[in-house]
Amino acid sequence: MRRQVPLILCFLFGIVMMLVEFSPHPVSEGLRAEVIKWSLIIGPFALVIGVVTLVHTHWIRIKRRVEHWQYSYLVFIGMIVMVAFGLPMAPKNGGNELPKWLEWFKWFKGPENEVFVWFFDNVQVPMEATMFSLLAFFIASASYRAFRARTLEATLLLAAALIVMIGNAPIGDYLWNELSPVGENIPSTARQWILDNPNLSSRRGIILGVSLGVISQSIRIIFGIERSYLGGGD
Amino acid sequence: MISKRIKCFFVILTAVVLSCSYSLAFAQETTTEVDTQWFHTGKVWIFVSVVLFSVAVIYSIYHARGGGDIFIRRIAGLEAVDEAIGRSTEMGRPILYVLGLGTVGDVATIASMNILGQVARKTADYETPLRVPCNDPIVLNVVREMVKAAYLDEGRPDAYNENDIFFVTESQFAYAAAVDGMMVREKPAAVFLQGTFYAESLILAETGNSVGAIQIAGSDSDSQLPFFITACDYTLIGEELYAASAYLSREPMLLGSLKGQDYGKLLLFTGIVLGVILELVGITWVSTFFQKVK
Repeated sequence: MRRQVPLILCFLFGIVMMLVEFSPHPVSEGLRAEVIKWSLIIGPFALVIGVVTLVHTHWIRIKRRVEHWQYSYLVFIGMIVMVAFGLPMAPKNGGNELPKWLEWFKWFKGPENEVFVWFFDNVQVPMEATMFSLLAFFIASASYRAFRARTLEATLLLAAALIVMIGNAPIGDYLWNELSPVGENIPSTARQWILDNPNLSSRRGIILGVSLGVISQSIRIIFGIERSYLGGGD
Repeated sequence: MISKRIKCFFVILTAVVLSCSYSLAFAQETTTEVDTQWFHTGKVWIFVSVVLFSVAVIYSIYHARGGGDIFIRRIAGLEAVDEAIGRSTEMGRPILYVLGLGTVGDVATIASMNILGQVARKTADYETPLRVPCNDPIVLNVVREMVKAAYLDEGRPDAYNENDIFFVTESQFAYAAAVDGMMVREKPAAVFLQGTFYAESLILAETGNSVGAIQIAGSDSDSQLPFFITACDYTLIGEELYAASAYLSREPMLLGSLKGQDYGKLLLFTGIVLGVILELVGITWVSTFFQKVK
């Protein structure tokens, strides 16, 4: 029974939502909107479970003094500070004054709270930007490994990468036009040809395979053939 | 206990039906001037293609039920799963399984969870720690249930540790930072990067590479695949990710669906070749037809 009910629901919703995709009728649109609403409602409940597991995981780390347990305190400090300043909001009372027992809410402004915004702008945003910036260095190290011309494929990759890089930089065209008697803007034209032909056609090949794979996987899920995502037991 | 669950289910179902009928009635009342067609005639060819392809897949699945050998080409990335788990077991280090940033509604995430189910069966056998940091709380709950079931199926419920599957954050780069930190501190011997990835793909893959882990990646995000191919030992490209569950479990019905998928590919390939030849000889109705299909 534990598996039959989810399988039936999966089948019904799978078929109905597929048909809804092909129907512009208001009934279909209404159904689609309703299902989206349900998924939006489920999200916050699941987030509560997520936060509980996060707290539990770090609490266990501190309790058992596992390696680097001190960092878990940072999780709690960050969470408490941001929740304390960001979560409570003054309830709207249609422009009237708030009842006395709710007056203390005035001190909080939810996500507009200055302290909350300060922490967000000066701690979270720079940290995320730092992580994103690391990508530049990782691209350099990954490119170095990929472009070592040890095989024919790697040599072709290196040649294609060089053409695209030179074609992307304005100096490529400038130098070509200044130094070469043959043709104009050849580096950028060659770059565009690589992107529009070999690159795009191989990407389209992958996309076609992915699309068929998605349909096939969806059919397996809708008809209950693929059920390992439900866990074991009957 | 079961009757309570059935009652609970029917209460939820009634609520759902009532909610739906209210919504439909509301939609009918408030949308008098909108399109009242039941079928979008502009999507007729897409519908026909989906039906044709689905019929091919279902037919192949039906045929595969009778047993018989179905050939499936060797996928290096999936052959290496045993090697990666064996290596972790021998080195006494954990396996890190990253499901990416997808939600439970993404097919790639479901495909990744199916692979995780197969990996969990093996880690249960070998008693190798399996660490799964999750980005989405719903995925977390599904994954916990799946891994627990895999350990139960293998007769090793004692080896299952719920705390090894945990929620980190929904923020993209904070998640990448947390997983990178885990890699550097715990030095897993094997890293699986399977699912939907965005800009964090190379950050994760390069960190995994730097700690010397054997890495098996898989994604349907074509823009991230080059990064995985460069930084990982094995990469499941696009559809290989969806074929993984059938490949690892070798269930005839799942393998049958792959055959149906191949029929679809054959049809597309024939269409492309035919279209190119017709275009070259000056017959343009194929391209005109595809331009009209939206």
